[in-house]
Amino acid sequence: MTDAVTASRPGQMPQRSPLKSVLLHAALIAASFAMLYPILWMLSGSLRPQDELFGSTSLIPSSLDLGGYIRGWTGLQVSFGRFFWNSFVISVLATVGNVMGCSLAAFAFARLRFGGRNFWFALMLGTLMLPYHVVLIPQYILFLELGWVNTPLPLIVPKYLATDAFFIFLMVQFFRGIPRELDEAAVMDGCSPFRIYWKIMLPLSLPVLATAAIFSFIWTWDDFFGPLIYLNDINTYTVQLGLRSFVDSTGSSDWTALFAMSNLSLVPVFLFFLFFQRLLIEGIATTGMKR
Amino acid sequence: MTLYAGSIAEERRAASLPKRTGLKRIFDRNIHAYLFLLPWLIGFFGLTLGPALVSLYLSFTNYDLLQSPDWVGAANYVRIATSDPKFAAAMQVTFTYVLLSVPLKLAFALLVALAFNRGIKGLTLYRAIFYLPSLLGSSVAIAVLWRQLFASDGLINMLLWRAFGYEGPSWISNPDYSIYTLVILSVWQFGSPMIIFLAGLRQIPQDMYEAAEIDGAGKLRQFLRITLPLLTPVIFFNAVIQTIDAFKAFTPAFIISEGTGGPINSTLFYTLYLYQEAFGFFRMGYASALAWILVIIISLFTAFSFLSAKYWVHYDD
Repeated sequence: MTDAVTASRPGQMPQRSPLKSVLLHAALIAASFAMLYPILWMLSGSLRPQDELFGSTSLIPSSLDLGGYIRGWTGLQVSFGRFFWNSFVISVLATVGNVMGCSLAAFAFARLRFGGRNFWFALMLGTLMLPYHVVLIPQYILFLELGWVNTPLPLIVPKYLATDAFFIFLMVQFFRGIPRELDEAAVMDGCSPFRIYWKIMLPLSLPVLATAAIFSFIWTWDDFFGPLIYLNDINTYTVQLGLRSFVDSTGSSDWTALFAMSNLSLVPVFLFFLFFQRLLIEGIATTGMKR
Repeated sequence: MTLYAGSIAEERRAASLPKRTGLKRIFDRNIHAYLFLLPWLIGFFGLTLGPALVSLYLSFTNYDLLQSPDWVGAANYVRIATSDPKFAAAMQVTFTYVLLSVPLKLAFALLVALAFNRGIKGLTLYRAIFYLPSLLGSSVAIAVLWRQLFASDGLINMLLWRAFGYEGPSWISNPDYSIYTLVILSVWQFGSPMIIFLAGLRQIPQDMYEAAEIDGAGKLRQFLRITLPLLTPVIFFNAVIQTIDAFKAFTPAFIISEGTGGPINSTLFYTLYLYQEAFGFFRMGYASALAWILVIIISLFTAFSFLSAKYWVHYDD
């Protein structure tokens, strides 16, 4: 517990009286429960018999019933297995693209000296502020012309072109912190810039690459707007689109199944949360990411 | 001739080589960097700058994807400004959402961060629990859950009935309340600004509090005179980021209203209206004008924030 984010302040601990401490913990436990209650309720709701969901505020189902998961999985004309596969493929390929494309650009900005560097860097920062909606329609027209609508390509290819400038910025910050002596020594040994990038920078930057990869995966997995626009054929749907169709088709008739599929759609994000929580929290704390 | 800042090896090697002519030298010096930048440059011109200019052009046309764009001058902007009731509704909904959700979210984030700041057992666990909604909150699944929480027979009404015997309305389908369910959804996700506040609080030097203590300043005074001023840069940062994000909110309103922005446009977020115009009615020119107005609104807001920062954000040391 030595990093800046988690380090507590031992010097301040004794200042609080035992009574105050108990009250604070009671308040925090109550607040934690209130925060998680809706999610837990959705989880328990998905495990109930279909007719029991309403009228019950409790978190314990009267009997365990996996029917919701079975009905939900095949609730649309295409099974959710397909949607999960589509989401998985898009998220993995987009993540690889983001890490590759952004780290190449970040290396140039952080380490290489070239004419126009400040100019391009300022433009790159400028694109951070530009709302996506301004480029949305022309991009749609472009991908329509290319015949890419109803394929995952519009959701994947732009990532290889480093369009998520935020990650470039994140990596530039990290690369600048790596001692220059390392690449200077490599230059003396006759290393090409590409070898320096590949053999020195990337291996030393695993924390930031992992942070970028995890956020990239989660954001792509959760993305609804992009798939909504580019994927109209149900065979190409991602999980988020599948869920949306499921809402429209079941309406409010089978909440158990809807909750079941909703829970499943959260599983990958939740796994990242469980295993990489510290990386996520440090990523937010040091860069001020919005999620 | 240096490719790397301060690279002695390169300079030595350069000195021993015959001098090259101007153009060739510039090329050699820059070629590597531009190779690294190439993917980004293609993306920048092909997917950002180019499309931005095209959408600026389209905003002065009528365009339905089938026939070629029809130049109409500023007509789209004039109609938006003077005779588009849905635009007015979308602005009202969006501003209500931004002005309510951002301050509330930041207030919760700051309050909880302050509770954590003074060192507490189980911090890591609490922090994880409070952060979880931020991570999950923008997914369709949570929007689906929200629809159910605030439905007429949803969890919230069940709880209200149990606790107070109050029979609540359908919050989602009542235009007086629907926007507030979305505000609550946003405030529930206060975890990530909370983490940023925590990181900011840790930057405040301890000896300031110790000095204040010696001078006899009470806890409230310490908060108002030390914590709050020194935290203003973080508050400012969080406010700007969260506001821009709130202007761009889309998914929850789409799911909760099944894409309509209803009832009676009460959840018609700006981006939802833009989506309807572009991909519901294929009025691409009009939607482009809407997109540029969003840019103007966000830019004005950002510029205003930075100007106001002079008066309330504490920057020295």
